[in-house]
Amino acid sequence: MNFLFMTTLVLYICAAVLPLILLKQQRVHNLCSNILQAAASCSAALLAFSRLNNAGAAVELMNIASPIPYLTLTLKLDKLSAFFLFCLGLLSLAVSIYSIGYMKHYFGRLNTGLFSCFVNVFILSMFFVLTAADLVTFLIAWELMSLVSYALVVFETNEPENSKAGLLYIIMTHLGTALLIIAFMLIYVNTGSLEIANASELSAGIKNILFVLFLLGFGVKAGIIPLHVWLPYAHPVAPSNISALMSGIMIKTAVYGLLRFLLVVLDASASWWGLVILVLGAVAAVLGIAFALIENNYKRLLAYSSIENIGIILLGLGVALYAQAGGHQETAALALIASLFHVFNHTLFKGALFLGAGSLHQALHTKDIEKLGGLMKKMPVTGTFMLLAALSISALPPFNGFVSEWLTIQSLFQFLNVSSTGAKLLGMLAAAALALAGGLAAACFVKFIGISFLGLPRSEEARIAREAPVTMLAGMGMLVLPCLFLGIFPRHIAGLLDGINQELLQVSVFPLIKGSVIFLYYPVQISGTALAPVFALMGGLILYLIIFTVIHLLYPHPADRIYKTWDCGFGGLNSRMQYTATGFSKPLRIVFRGLYRPKRELQYTEGPSPYYPGDPRYIVSTEPVFEKYIYQPLAGLVTRWARRSRLWIQTGSVHIYLIYIFAVLIILLVYNWVLGLH
Amino acid sequence: MNTPLYILIQLAAALLLAPLVNGVIKKVKAFSQKRQGPPLQQMYLDLYKLLQKDTVVSETASWVYHFAPYLNFVTALLAFLFFPVTFFQQTISFGGDIILAVYLLGLGRFFMALGGLDTGSTFGGMGASREMMISALIEPALLVSLLTLGLMSGSTSVESIMSVNLQGSPLSTNPFALLILIALFIILLAETARIPVDDPSTHLELTMVHEAMLLEYSGRHLALMEYAAVIKQLLFITILANFFFPLEPALASPLPALLLGLIVYVLKVLIIAVLVAVTEISTVKLRFFSIPNLAAISFVLSFLGFMQFFIIGR
Repeated sequence: MNFLFMTTLVLYICAAVLPLILLKQQRVHNLCSNILQAAASCSAALLAFSRLNNAGAAVELMNIASPIPYLTLTLKLDKLSAFFLFCLGLLSLAVSIYSIGYMKHYFGRLNTGLFSCFVNVFILSMFFVLTAADLVTFLIAWELMSLVSYALVVFETNEPENSKAGLLYIIMTHLGTALLIIAFMLIYVNTGSLEIANASELSAGIKNILFVLFLLGFGVKAGIIPLHVWLPYAHPVAPSNISALMSGIMIKTAVYGLLRFLLVVLDASASWWGLVILVLGAVAAVLGIAFALIENNYKRLLAYSSIENIGIILLGLGVALYAQAGGHQETAALALIASLFHVFNHTLFKGALFLGAGSLHQALHTKDIEKLGGLMKKMPVTGTFMLLAALSISALPPFNGFVSEWLTIQSLFQFLNVSSTGAKLLGMLAAAALALAGGLAAACFVKFIGISFLGLPRSEEARIAREAPVTMLAGMGMLVLPCLFLGIFPRHIAGLLDGINQELLQVSVFPLIKGSVIFLYYPVQISGTALAPVFALMGGLILYLIIFTVIHLLYPHPADRIYKTWDCGFGGLNSRMQYTATGFSKPLRIVFRGLYRPKRELQYTEGPSPYYPGDPRYIVSTEPVFEKYIYQPLAGLVTRWARRSRLWIQTGSVHIYLIYIFAVLIILLVYNWVLGLH
Repeated sequence: MNTPLYILIQLAAALLLAPLVNGVIKKVKAFSQKRQGPPLQQMYLDLYKLLQKDTVVSETASWVYHFAPYLNFVTALLAFLFFPVTFFQQTISFGGDIILAVYLLGLGRFFMALGGLDTGSTFGGMGASREMMISALIEPALLVSLLTLGLMSGSTSVESIMSVNLQGSPLSTNPFALLILIALFIILLAETARIPVDDPSTHLELTMVHEAMLLEYSGRHLALMEYAAVIKQLLFITILANFFFPLEPALASPLPALLLGLIVYVLKVLIIAVLVAVTEISTVKLRFFSIPNLAAISFVLSFLGFMQFFIIGR
C-alpha cells in the first residue's frame, strides 16, 4: 500500500510541476498534466479502495520528523479517511478528463499552466487533510487547501465580481481556521499530545467548548447556515471544474473534520451535540433549497443546492452522534452509513451537475437560465446526463440519491424509537423538514432542467449551441453512470461503509457479501423493511415492455404527426411566450415570501395616452437575508471600531509613536521587576 | 399464493377497477347537480377510443415528451403493486417499502412536469409550476403520516403496517389514527387533483393544474397519462381502505376467501370514492394561494396524530 501512496504522491507532484516547465505550450501541458492527474487519481482511489476492503488497523503512510519542534508530518489511512479519499479520487479522475476539453476555452486568455499546477496542489492538499494524523499536519494542509482554492476561485481576474467573491471566501475561511487553531491549542494544552487520537478523558466543560469551536470552524467550510454566505458567491465565479471539486469534495473535508473530531476524538459524549447538529442540518436543508429555487444563475442554484445536501448529511450525522452518546450503537451505525452514503452520492451527482454547468457555460457563455432553452435537441448527451443527475439529486428511484435519502429517513425513524420525548418532537420535525427539502429540490431541478433544456430557445446563443467535446462528455458520464448503477445495486457502497462502522463503532449493519459479484442484487435490509431497487427496476422494465408491445401491436398507428404547438389559434408562438424561470418559481416565491421578502417594481414608460402605456419594466428582487441582517451590521461594526481606533494608533506623528514605545517598555520593565520581587 | 399470482391480481385490480372508480365519482357529482351524467363505463370507452387515435406531437418536443406518458403509467402501476388489495395476500411476505412507493409516484410526477415544459407552450409550464408547488408543500404531511403509521407498526414496510391491523386492534379504532386518516384524506385530494385543490374537469388556465400538463398530449399518450392518474387515485383510496378499515373475512379455504376479500375491497373502494365525490360537491376549489393553508392543516393533523401516538403509546 505504501507503493500506491508513493505513486500517487509522485504523479500529483509531476502533474503540478510539468505545466510550469512547459508554460508556453498550452495544449501539450494541458493534455499531459490532466492525464497525469487522472492516473494519480486512479491510484489514490485504488489506495482507498484497497484499504476499505481489507480488515486491519490503520496504515501509516508517511512519518517525516523534522528538526523544528512540534512539526512532524504524519499521514495515516484508516477506513474513514479511505472512504473520503475514494470520493476524492473518483471526482478528480472525472474532473481531470473533463478538464482536457474544458481548459481549451481558456487558452490564450489565462495562464493555464499555473492553473493546472494549482489544481494538483489543491487535490494533494485535500489528500493530506483527509489522511493527517496529527494536528499540525492537519492545519498546514487545511490552510494550503484554503489558499490554493482561493487562488483558483479568483483565477479569471478580469471580472471584478470574482475578486469580491474571493475576498469574502478567504475572510470567512480564515475565520473558521482561526477557531480551529484555538480548538487545536486547547486540545494540546489539555492532553499534551498533538496526535489526532481519542481524547475522551477531557473534562465535560472543555469538551463542550471544543464542540462549539469545531462546529463553527468546520461549519464555515461546510456551509452551515448562517455561516454559508461565501458559498453562493465563490462557487459560481470559479471555473466549473473547480466548482465541481469544491462542491464535490472540499466541503466534504469539513464533514470529515466534524466526524473525525466529534466522533473519534471527543467520542460523542453529550447527546445535545447530536440534537444541535440535527437542527442545523434541518435548517440548512430547507433554507438551502429555498434559496436555490429562486436563483436564475444556474451555478448559484447548484451552490445553494450543495448547502441543502450538506444539511441532509448533517441530519444523519446528528442522529449518529445522539445515538452514540446514548449507547444505541445500531442506530448510530445506520445513521453514519446514511450520512456517508449521501456524502458519496453528493460528490457524484453534484460533480456531474457542475461539470454540465461548465459545458453549458462553454457553449452559451452565459450563466443565466433565462437565456437557455431547447438545448435537449442541440446538446442531447449533456442534456440526458444533466437530467439523470437531476433525478439523482431529487432523490428519485432508481438513482443513488433515493437510496441515501431512504437510509436517512430510516435512521430518523430509528431515532424516533430511541430518543427522549423532547428529542422525538425534534426528530419528527427534522423528518418533515427533510420531506419539504426533497419536494422543493424536485421543484428546483424540474425548473433547471425544464427551462434550460426543454421548450424553445430563448436567445440567439441557445439557438446556435453545439454539443460539448467528447472529453467533457466522458468526464460527466464517469460521474453520472455510477449514480444509476449504485442506485440499482446499493449494496456495494453499503458494504464498504459497514467496514467503517465496524472500525469506529464496533457494530455491523450490512454484512459484507464475500466474493466479487458485480451485480449485488441483495436488498438493503433494516429491521423489518427492505429496499431492493433492482426488483423495482426490473418490474418497471418488464411492465414498460409489455405495455409498449401491447399498445403498438393491438393498435398499429402510422407515425406521429409533427405539428406546431397549439397556440390557441392566434399564431406566432415564439419563445417569449413560454414559461420563464422566474415565472416557474413564482408560486413558491409567494408562499415563502416571509423568507425571501421579495421587492417588486413595475414601471411603464410613457405611451401615447394613459390608456396605452409604453414598454413595461418589471424588476423583482429578493432580499439577501443573511448578508443584510447579520453580516453587514457585523462588518459595519468592525469597520467603525477600526476607524475609530485608528485615530489614536495611527496618528502619523513620530512623537506619539515614540511615546507609545517608551510607555510599553517601561510597563514591561515594571512588570518584570514586580515579578522578580515575588 | 405466490408472487406471480399476487402481481396478476394487483394488476387486474388496478387496470379494471381504476376507471370504474372515476366513473362512480363523476356519476355522484352529476346526480348532485340533477344530471344523469356519463355512464359508469365511460372512461373505459374513452381510453379505448384514445388508444386507437393518432397522435399529434409538437415539433418542439424532445424524447422527454415521448417517454413521460409511459414512465408515468409504469410508475403508477408499479407503486400500486406495493399495496395488496386483500388481506388474504398477506400470507406471502411482500417486503415492499412504503417510502419507495411514494417516491416512485414522485418520479412519475417529475417527468409529467418535464413533459409539460417540453412543448414550449405556456399552459404546460403553468401546470408544471403549480404542480411542483403543491407537491412540495404536501410532502411533509405525507412523510409524517407514513412515519407515524410505521412507528405504530415497527417499520415502514407495507407488510408490517397491514399485519398490525390483522393482529392487534385495527387502526380505525385508535383515536390517533383518526387524525392520520383525515390528514391522508387531504393528501389524497391534493395528489389526485380533486376539488378543493384542483378541478379535474376544467381547461381554463385560471384553474387547471394537472390538466395543464396533459394539454398537449393526444392519442395513446393521453390515454396513458389519464390511466396513470386514475390508478394513482385508486392507490390512495386503497391506502385509506386497507390501512384504516381492515375487514378480514375469516374463511378457511383459499379461493372463496380471496373472492370474498376482493368483493369487500371493491365495496370499500366504492364507499370511499363516494366520500371523495361528496367532499368535492360540498366545497369549492380553493384559491391557488390558499392551498398552502390546506397543506399546513394536513401537516398539523398528522403531527398531532404523531404526538398523540407517542404520548398515549401503543
